[in-house]
Formats: sequence, structure tokens, C-alpha cells
Amino acid sequence: MNIKITHNWLLEYLDTDATPYEIQKYLSLCGPSIESVTKIDNDFIYDVEVITNRIDYASVLGVAREAVAILPMFDKRAKLKDLASFHWTGENGKRTEKVEIVDPDNLCPRKLAVVMEVSIGKSPQYIKERLENCGIRSLNNLIDITNYVMLEVGHPAHVFDYDRVKTGKIFIRKAKNGEKITTLDKKNYLLNSNDIIFDDGTGRIIDLPGIMGLDNSVVTEKTKRIIFWIETNDPKAIRITSMRLGIRTAAASINEKNPDPEAAKMTFLKGIELYQKIAKGNIISPLYDTSPDIKKEKLLVIGYELFGKKIGIEIPKKRINSILVNLGFGINYLEDSRIQVIVPSWRANDINIPEDLVEEIARVYGYQNIPSILQPIVYIDQPKDMEDIFVFQNKIKLLLKHLGLNEVINYSMISKSMIEDGGLKIENHLRLSNSISEEIEYLRTSLLPSLYKNIQDNSGRKEVMRFFEIAKVYWLKKNDLPDEVYKIGIATNTDYFDLKGIIEAIYKELNIDFCHSREGGNPDIIEKDGVFMTEIDLQKLINNYHQVPKFKSLNPYAVIKLDKTFELSPKTTYAIVRQKAFKSKLLQKIELVTLFNNKLTLRFYYSLSSRNITEEEAKEELALVR
Amino acid sequence: MINFEEIKNQFDKDIKETKEIEKLEIKYLGRNGVINDLLKKIKEIPQEQKKSYGQKVNELKTSIKRLIEVKRKELAGKKSEVFFDKTLPGKSYPKGSLHPITYTIEEIANIFQKIGFVRVSYPEVEWEYFAFEALNMPKDHPARDDFETFFINYPKDKKYGKIVLSPHTSSGQTREMKRVKEPPIRMINIAKCYRPNWDITHVPMFFQFEGLCVDHNINITHLKGTINYFVKNFFGKDREIRLRPCHFQFTEPSFEVDVSCKVCGGKGLLNNKKCKVCKSGWLELAGTGMVHPNVLKAGGIDPNQYSGWAFGFGPERCMMMKEEMKIDDIRILYNGDIRFLEQF
Repeated sequence: MNIKITHNWLLEYLDTDATPYEIQKYLSLCGPSIESVTKIDNDFIYDVEVITNRIDYASVLGVAREAVAILPMFDKRAKLKDLASFHWTGENGKRTEKVEIVDPDNLCPRKLAVVMEVSIGKSPQYIKERLENCGIRSLNNLIDITNYVMLEVGHPAHVFDYDRVKTGKIFIRKAKNGEKITTLDKKNYLLNSNDIIFDDGTGRIIDLPGIMGLDNSVVTEKTKRIIFWIETNDPKAIRITSMRLGIRTAAASINEKNPDPEAAKMTFLKGIELYQKIAKGNIISPLYDTSPDIKKEKLLVIGYELFGKKIGIEIPKKRINSILVNLGFGINYLEDSRIQVIVPSWRANDINIPEDLVEEIARVYGYQNIPSILQPIVYIDQPKDMEDIFVFQNKIKLLLKHLGLNEVINYSMISKSMIEDGGLKIENHLRLSNSISEEIEYLRTSLLPSLYKNIQDNSGRKEVMRFFEIAKVYWLKKNDLPDEVYKIGIATNTDYFDLKGIIEAIYKELNIDFCHSREGGNPDIIEKDGVFMTEIDLQKLINNYHQVPKFKSLNPYAVIKLDKTFELSPKTTYAIVRQKAFKSKLLQKIELVTLFNNKLTLRFYYSLSSRNITEEEAKEELALVR
Repeated sequence: MINFEEIKNQFDKDIKETKEIEKLEIKYLGRNGVINDLLKKIKEIPQEQKKSYGQKVNELKTSIKRLIEVKRKELAGKKSEVFFDKTLPGKSYPKGSLHPITYTIEEIANIFQKIGFVRVSYPEVEWEYFAFEALNMPKDHPARDDFETFFINYPKDKKYGKIVLSPHTSSGQTREMKRVKEPPIRMINIAKCYRPNWDITHVPMFFQFEGLCVDHNINITHLKGTINYFVKNFFGKDREIRLRPCHFQFTEPSFEVDVSCKVCGGKGLLNNKKCKVCKSGWLELAGTGMVHPNVLKAGGIDPNQYSGWAFGFGPERCMMMKEEMKIDDIRILYNGDIRFLEQF
């Protein structure tokens, strides 16, 4: 996700002499990527990319914290300003109202609430401008404050109309299947039992917490009293509900990444301060915090030598210490060059193992300051079967290209109708349980349905088409992963002998005797609507491959060439003639001379490697071929 | 004695003057021609000279034959006064095409082969275990959601979980560790991956290439060194890389790799205007990092003894960046349109 904040806003937390462009450059190298800086009036807008495990810097405060650690590495001054405003305000004044918070299953670990009397109106200009510069629509002061504090401190917040909640009660429960809600943007949604909701105690749902407020409880023009509210959430539940309902608010994007519960409290306090300041806010209830002691210290022990070992260069201990401290970590020095590191609350989720600390040091020290060195080259044995797969694919691909074929790469998944039209059985195919389109629902067991479709899809674009694809097919197995088998699929819209010639060329290229291969010179060629197709098993070709054909010593004796014409019929096919002819010990090879109608003229080459033969001898041999 | 030189000289003279090549052919090569006369005379040659005599006759015959052919063509050319246009195209030979990604994959494999990386092949249809758990991605990790990974409708395995279409080539990491058992490991895995997105910038099937290096004392300098080597060999010597912090479950630390923009030379500015191709001088290229100790453990390798790096690149992106291919709709790569395919 990305967030936008402004430079002037950042300066409320950060004391620095760095320019906006320096901040962009240095932070992008060592911390949050600032994808752009846009100058606007007297301010600059930063567009900050927030990586999934660093939701802690999705705020002005969070970026300021990073800047404090990073900018000094570039000799820039950077200090965090005093955060005095994040303290409980006094408990004086009347506290007549209350919020009853009931969460029997502890679905929201921390709840913070307060009731305030307020005056609705427009936000002051600076808040309005900042929000809009940061891509958030300004509505009224009561709502703007929730967005403003979220962007400033980092935790989503919500505001209810206290009087529209009616009961003053927030009962947190799972929704029932089929319960309906209307969100504040007046859209209707159907809930199920995975969703967590707030109920006012009467069965009326008043909030979809952590994701979006509901129409029946949000503030209106008439609002006089509010509940300013923050809860922490189960990140997984937020993600599931928000993705299923398609409600992708900024709040949901943050809450699904488990923001710091301490940030929730700071956001809460900042919000109260703002209601007092810009909405004539007056606290009229106790301040509720259901888990004031949620803060737990996380500790990690690490030896200094690990930094050098993983980074590849020695970074002085002093520098390591200062980087850690500037990032907000505490350090206790142990013996043996080890330290105990105290992880700040906002880093509790992403800092878990010593390697996480290595990352902190390496990035702030600067990846640009780490040299590039190729590791020592060692010999690794490549399994022959894996090597062959790639070598032969390439060999065959180049051959087919040079024969004029076009390689295509199709999806491994095909539709039900493609399988059925291809005469294949659905039950032999693995099916995707969450396909996004029926076009890609089943894993293919043959390349031919896809190739057939390629020819159909391209009709009208080109007259002669010859496609091939080399890819895996997936053969169902019992209680195991499917067999992934490489196939060569070829499809043409020409004719039988064109395709057969291509197949023969592959065999010739690999020096496999096609006529004596398993296919016996008759490959499986399928014809469908003028499309000729075949599929060859790559592994079988590899198994029968010869680098060069078997060497025959050169024959010094004369070769007698004889032509003969045959009238083809089911009983006199080329294969039969060939078979008969090769019974002769003298026959070296046969060539096809002409085929006219069903008159086939062949040329026979006779010779012996031990002596000259006479024409009569050859003629006698040929006479036997009838 | 027969003077072969004299015969040859006579022939040379004849051929220069002749306008009727057939007559010349009959004179020398005909049934009763000069050559046949010479052959007939072989009976009169002493036994010991027969062999060399025969060779000489043959040489003469071959030479005469060849010269007659040349002359024949020459005369034929003169007769037909058709204009010989050398600018016409040559004879047309078939030229098919390979899918552009095929060339890219071959090039990548070759670049890594030179520094001792072996190419492997692992299942595309994979157990959840290898695709996630072994990569330090626990059950509730968002990448394992229905919207991020394709699942196969198949009974769950007790040990390995469901069957998925591998959403990344990283699934091969622990498989390679288990195959090799004891490092060193230098692996390059280029394969199809699958994710449930299908629009102008996403295809549900795409390629990735994964590098994995595990050995004693492997550190960040080696990762940088290898990526730098690849980028300079693949994109050009003048290109630079930079690493930026990022997050992946299976690496720690994790980085994003950027490569300097060719168009603006990494400056982000072109003629004082913002470069349209890149983000301030750099283009995002890949995700990478040092192998997470949990991944090494899952592969049966002791993280206290060994360390490693891994990266994952998209060859489609590499190809488009290198060839400056402006593809508005990425689906064209895999929809089999001949007008696209035959260009390569």
C-alpha cells in the first residue's frame, strides 16, 4: 500500500535540515520508498510505499521515526520533536455519560472510547488542505479528525453519533449468516459468521469494525455528542471480511497488517486533543481503555559478530549501537560482545530474530555502502535428466523454428469445453477449486486442445499456420502430485504429409530411425476440421537420441540405381513395398521419385560393400518387390 | 607418347572461339570424341604407366566437362537478353519464430551457467508445504488466501496439505536443499508460476527465475555481486543496481532490486524533463534477500553453519525492459496471436 503525507506535516514531528528531495533520496535507499515528491503551494507531498511488515511507518510519525535513524547517516540533522501531546488529559469536568463495552470472546483485543459533546462544522483550512493533498476527501470536522489522526499517528479511528447508538452499549460479536448491513456510503452487504460486528445490545448492528462505519450510527449534520472510538483487530478477520465484501478502505488496509496497539492509544489521545481544539469538544464520559497494560517488552540477544558475518563487512560497534538507538531500540550490554536489544512496541511484529536486527543495521548503514563481490565459483553436479530436458527442448525448438513453425506458449489450464471437444475425459483432469474464469479451470493433460484453439483463434489472420508448443502436461495420480510430463505438440492447417514431414525431421535431427521407432513410421496424427495435430513425448525422444548416426564405412563399389513404379492400393502401400524391398541384402536406400495419382515411382539403390554387383543382380532383387 | 598439354591447349582455343557448344561437346566428350579416343588407346600403354595415364585422362575429362558447363551458361546468358536484377531478394527459406520469452530464458540460463549455477526443474503443481510452510509462510499468511494462490480440488495430504499451483519458483528452494543435502548450492530455477489475476497488467500464468546460493560464509556482498553480474551481462555494462529494503517471508534481510534506467542513464531527467520510463532514474526489477534461517532448517541445512541468498525475477519484465518492448496489454504474451508470435 501507499500513503501520502506532506513535508510541513512531517516537520511537526521532525527537526531536520534535509530538503524534501534529500529526504526522498535517503529514505528510499535505507527505509520507506518515497516514490514521488510533488511540490504544492508551500508544501511538498510525499508518496510513500509501505511494505507489508512495516505498517508502523504508515504515518507522519512513522516516517519521522525512520528519518531520525536514516538522515544522520547522510550527515543531516534529524531529531524527533517532543511528543508531549500523547498523555491522558486531566480527569476533571463532569463525566455523566458512559459507554458499556462488551466483548465476551475478546474479538477486539484493545478498545478505547470516550463520549464528547461537540460542535459539527468545517475543518480548519490546514486540516482540509492536508487531507486533500494526501488523497482523502474532507467532509466535516468530526470525520476529518479520525482520518487526520490516522495519517498522523498511524492507527485507524472511528466516530459514532452517541445519540444514534441509542443504548450507549457496544457489544462485539460475530455476525450471523444472512445478517444485513448498510455502510455509511449507503451500500448493502450480506454478512456471514466470519465477520465481526458491533451490536448496540438490541441485535441492531451498528458497525463493521476496522473496515467501515455504518449508515445507522455515523455522525450527521445534527450530531451533538459523539463516541470517539478505536479498537484493535484480528488482522486475519479484517482481511477476510474486507476482501470478501470488496471494501478496501485505508482503515482495512492498515488493520489487516496488525498495527501497534500503542499507536491506537496515541491516536486516541491525539484525536481527543483535536476534538477539543477544532470541534469545541468537551469530554463527558470516563476515558475507556480496556487494556492499559497491553505493552509488553520484547527482547532479543545478538552477538556483534553476526552483523559482519551476514553483511560481509565490519561495521563499528559504536555505529551499530547508534543506529539501533536512533531506530528506537533499547540496548543492554552483555559480556562476550553480545547485546540484549529491547524492541519498541511499534516494531514488535516485524522484529523476531537476530537476522531482523542485521537487516536494520545493513539498511540504515546503507546497501549502497556494501560492495558487490561474486561468491567463489564451485562445481555443482547437474542431474542429467534435468539438463537433458532443457538441452533437448532448445534443440527441438530451434529445429522447428528453422522449419518455419511458430512457437506458442499457452496457459496450462484449459476450459471444460476444450477438454470435451478434444475427446478427452474430464475425470482425468485436475480442477482448480478457485479458478477465476471457466477458460482456465482444468490442468491440461494434452497440448492439442490449446493448439487447436490457436489455429481457430487465428483464422483470417494468416493463411498457412504451423504452431508448436513444448510444455508440461499434468497427469493425475492417486494420493500424490500429478506427473508433470513434457510434450511437444504440433498443429498445422496444411495437410497430413506436411505434419508427417515435420515429425520425420525431428527424428532425423535427433538421429532416431523413424521407420523403426515405436510408431513404425506412422505417427499419431489427428485431423479435426482441417487441423492436423500430433503430440510427442519429449522424454522418449531423449531416450532414443544419438549424437551422430551410426557410421558406415564408405562403399568403394558401384551403386546400381533402378526406378520402379507401383500402383498404390491397400495391399501395395509404401510401407509394404519398403518392407519387401529391404528383405534384399543389396538394398541401401529407397527414394521417392514421383507420386502421380496413385502411381508411385521409387528409386532403389543397390550395392554391396564387398564387391561390384551387376545390373542383372540388382534387377533380380527388385523383381522380387511386387 | 600423347601430349596432354597440347590437347588441352587446343581445347582452350576451341572453346574461346566456339559459338555452338554442342559441337564442341561432341568433339571432345562424344562417343567418338577426343576423350574416348584416349581411353581406347589405353590398351597400347605399357602396364606400368596405365594407372597414371588413366588418371591424366580423367583429369582432362573433368576439366573439359566443367569448362563446357561454364561456357554453356555464359552463352545461355547472352542469348536471353533478360535483365539480371541483382537487387531482387534471394531465394526464400522458411523462418518460423520462437516465443520471445524462450530467448530470454535461454540467455538467463547461460549467464548463470557461466558462474556455476545449474538449472533445475521442480513441480509447478506443488504441495502447500513446499510453496509456503517450508518458506516460512505460516497458515494465516495472506499469500495463502484464495485470492493470491490457485488451489487444486484434491484431497489434502496429512503432511503436505493441499495441492496448489505454485505462485512462485521459490517452492524449489527447499526441494533443491533436500536434493543436494549438503551445500554448496548454486541453483537457477526457471519455471511457470500461477496467480489468480487476469487483466491488462497480470496474467494467471507467468514465468519466474529463482536463484539460490547456499554455502559457508555467504553474505550480502555476494548477493549484490551476483545480481550486479547478471544485470551487467543481461542489460549492459553501463547499468547499475541498487538494493532497497523490502519484505519477504523467506528472506531476512529482504531487498528490492532496482536497475538504473537506460533512457535517462539513472538520472531521472532527460533534457531537464522527468524521464517517462522510470521512477527517478531507477526501474524495479526483482525481490531478493538472504535466505531465512527457517527456510534453511526446512531444507535440512544448519543455519549456524551455512548461509545463503535467493532472488526471484520475472523474465517477462526483464525481456520487456531489455528489448524496450512496449506492451500495453500483457495478455498478448500468452493468447497465441500469430501476429505477435511471428515477429520474433
